[in-house]
Amino acid sequence: MNAIDRSHHKPAAKLLSGNAACAQGAIDAGCTFFAGYPITPSSEIAERLSSLLPKAGGVFIQMEDEIAAMAAVVGASMGGVKALTATSGPGFSLKQENIGYAAGAEIPCVIVNVMRGGPSTGMPTRPSQADIFQTRYGSHGDYPIIVLVPASAREIYDETLRAFDLAEICRTPVILLYDQVIAQSSETVALGGRPPAHATRKWASGPRESYKPYAAGDDLVPAMPRPGDGYRTHTTGLTHSESGFPSQDPETVTRNLGRLYAKLEKHRDLIDSYEAVRCEDAELVIVAIGISARAARRAVDACRAEGHKVGLFRPITLWPFPEIALREATKSAKTILVPELNIGQLRLEIERLLRDRRVEGLHLISGEPITPAQIAAAATKLATEV
Amino acid sequence: MNEQSKIAALNADSEPVAFNAALAEPFNVLIVGVGGQGVIMVSKVLAALAQAHGFEVKQSEVHGMAKRGGAVFSHVRFGQRVWSPTIAKGEADVLIALEWAEGLRWLPHLKRDTGVFICDTKRIVPPFACLNRKLGAKMRYSTETAEQVSAYVSEAYAIDATRMAEELGNDRAANVVLLGALSTVLEFSLPEWEKTVTSFVPKKTIAVNTAAFELGRNWIVEAKTATPADDAAAKAAPVHAHYSARLEITDAWCKSCEICVKLCPERCLTLNADRIATMTAPEKCTGCRLCEWLCPDFAIRVHLDTEAAVMEAAR
Amino acid sequence: MFRDAPHFDVRDYLRKEMMPHFLCPGCGHGMALRALLWALHELKIDRDKLAVVSGIGCAGRLSAYIDANTFHTTHGRPLAYATGLALARPDLHVVVITGDGDCLAIGGNHLIHACRRNLKLTCLMLNNEIYGMTGGQVSPTTSETRLTTTTPHGNTEPNFDACALATAAGAGFVGREVTRHVPKMKELIKDGLQHPGFAFIEVLSDCTEVYGRKNDMGSSSEMVLRQKSEMRPSAYRDSVDEPFRSTDLPTGILARNHRPEYGAALRAAAAARAAK
Repeated sequence: MNAIDRSHHKPAAKLLSGNAACAQGAIDAGCTFFAGYPITPSSEIAERLSSLLPKAGGVFIQMEDEIAAMAAVVGASMGGVKALTATSGPGFSLKQENIGYAAGAEIPCVIVNVMRGGPSTGMPTRPSQADIFQTRYGSHGDYPIIVLVPASAREIYDETLRAFDLAEICRTPVILLYDQVIAQSSETVALGGRPPAHATRKWASGPRESYKPYAAGDDLVPAMPRPGDGYRTHTTGLTHSESGFPSQDPETVTRNLGRLYAKLEKHRDLIDSYEAVRCEDAELVIVAIGISARAARRAVDACRAEGHKVGLFRPITLWPFPEIALREATKSAKTILVPELNIGQLRLEIERLLRDRRVEGLHLISGEPITPAQIAAAATKLATEV
Repeated sequence: MNEQSKIAALNADSEPVAFNAALAEPFNVLIVGVGGQGVIMVSKVLAALAQAHGFEVKQSEVHGMAKRGGAVFSHVRFGQRVWSPTIAKGEADVLIALEWAEGLRWLPHLKRDTGVFICDTKRIVPPFACLNRKLGAKMRYSTETAEQVSAYVSEAYAIDATRMAEELGNDRAANVVLLGALSTVLEFSLPEWEKTVTSFVPKKTIAVNTAAFELGRNWIVEAKTATPADDAAAKAAPVHAHYSARLEITDAWCKSCEICVKLCPERCLTLNADRIATMTAPEKCTGCRLCEWLCPDFAIRVHLDTEAAVMEAAR
Repeated sequence: MFRDAPHFDVRDYLRKEMMPHFLCPGCGHGMALRALLWALHELKIDRDKLAVVSGIGCAGRLSAYIDANTFHTTHGRPLAYATGLALARPDLHVVVITGDGDCLAIGGNHLIHACRRNLKLTCLMLNNEIYGMTGGQVSPTTSETRLTTTTPHGNTEPNFDACALATAAGAGFVGREVTRHVPKMKELIKDGLQHPGFAFIEVLSDCTEVYGRKNDMGSSSEMVLRQKSEMRPSAYRDSVDEPFRSTDLPTGILARNHRPEYGAALRAAAAARAAK
């Protein structure tokens, strides 16, 4: 299995916005194709890559719309290259059908969704965390997907690298989800020389006659045919058998869709990522992502100073949700607080996973980031109630 | 050099036609071919050349009525004084033909004893010569052999000019190959020829046309010195291979749309009891492939077997 | 002459295990597919390097029958997928098969921008004036007054002249042919495949089972014979002035220019920048 080791990675300080870190991460991951469409607050990724990619021998193209950008990315990846697109809420909604195609036909690709206030055009320049379910369930039908939620510019860089690795290893679309605040604030980021791109796609090899494009081995990830290598296979968004051709045979459909889910389960050790802060003895655990988690981190210290046993569980992989780690981190907790910039999305998932605990939300939909004081106040209130 | 070329040498014994210094009698060149080959261009070059040389020239042509593929001819007469614009039967000093059958058609216009016949062996079969659509059926196209022709004419050259031009990369230069051939029988100087030919061809094609001219000229020079070879292939009458058409129908792919049945020009297909396309009149099939091309289901494949293959299969 | 050489056998280019195909009896798309495969054969295009990208609908399903690298993508988007594929892999020969609904309705935006961009792609749009697979709804090319399942009293919308649209948007090569003329269609597709830029080819095809029946257009063979007079954008219907001008739809190569090819221009610009 492709373990991802970047321990040799030597940092060098740079002032980077989250979006700039993402663009740099894509280049360092070996991405050679970007197709996008202008949208606030993600455009800086496209702008950066329009300069960086041609220099790196890659292709940058601004497409005619969000749908075309997603389609071009899947098309490029079918041609065998690592491909990226970046967008925000309205554009992400438009991309959904082709994200579903990439999931169903198992085409690796990375999609950045910089969350802004919604619904509809909403608040283009304001942060939000309201796309938690759209990233998971946005396209129609049943399909699994990987969603990563970095919380800083540095982490965006790392998670961009990891997103490409996971996409290639698992043959799946991977979504990088973060909010407007970390996308557009600049931070001092320690980046090193280029780490080599670790994960390479498993290409079909061996005789054409016996090759089946969707027949997988033990890792449940089928080797992908590269156009030009002589396999001459068919790729379709219809449900298909191992041969790649359309099939509606109930057993075949069940088997192949089941494998899509099973293949991510099989790679959970690579996929799962989280941070647990002072959870060992915590009676109250705050579960938060992105900018809200950064505020929560300070709130934890504030509450601890007040003598409350408060911890923080921060998923870095949002989907599939790192539930085993969550259960471990909340072993001693009686109450869970979920601060988030929406009207209650992550809270629903936590309620589902921890049915025997009290789960409270702290929801802000004003278009402003949540503050440490707001979280600390809510946590203190809950801690004293107990 | 092509196979039929050898017959050219059969009567190749005369020197280039020497112009009487004054050309008291006009010199007559008849140029024939079919529309689109460049007959008019050849005659215009010749007329311009003679004019520049100081002769009086008359050129008359029939074109316009001849669509692409129809017969075209042009009379060029030059000398001290030229009265009639056309050449009477038996009066042409040179007959130059861009198409084989057209050349034969005009042979009676050539001077029986001294006329020179230069003919492209290119065969352009007009549609009305195909009276029978059966494969391998005889066409109503001239069957005379080159040998028969050479017996009739004092000096004959059968030159595969079209192929020579094709090999140069531009089949439209065939008429200039023939001009090169013509240059060996007329007494104009080479620079005169060159100047006139280059002024009549498009600038972009000057190189290929110059090469074509030289090729035609050298070919005649070579043919004149070659000994008549007994080239059996050249003397033999053209062989028509006999074909028979056979349909391979993939029953499992046929969806009974009846397109092949209704659109077959010979009506040789029907739907059988299972509503699958079936060949019911194989003797009428001409192998035109319309059924194969129009079958939306790829169920029909037309095989054209040669007689030998049919015999082999029967055995 | 074909008698001397073995004639092209379309079966060599089909995935025989997928045959017979799923199209209705008499459907013109089979003839169009033959012409495409014939053109590819005559140009000796390596099938390992051939990518066929198709969208959704009857035309979209054709890619599955071609023995090449085939991609059956989402509705309306094959040109966008193909754009990504062709830019990522300039060594591939990319052909797009699409239908009138796929290309002009849901995918219309991609068509005009593909024309404008002029990336080397060959786009074959099979126009049968109907959404056949979904049961016969009106499409952007349905002739006026025609009956469809969503125009039960006759179509009242004017229709697109796809070739004029592509020409106006700047396509490097625009052509049109009817399925009846298979060898001509093959020659047109060959010209399109060789064009160094975006080539748009409209093929007028017959939907016999849905459109033909609904509009009482006769049998498959009758429909084939009437393609050029029956199927035409309203712009041509209005300009009838017989006997001086034919009412037939113009076919063959309708526009050709040699604007710079997008992929080559992009790579040249990148190379120039990398050299700095």
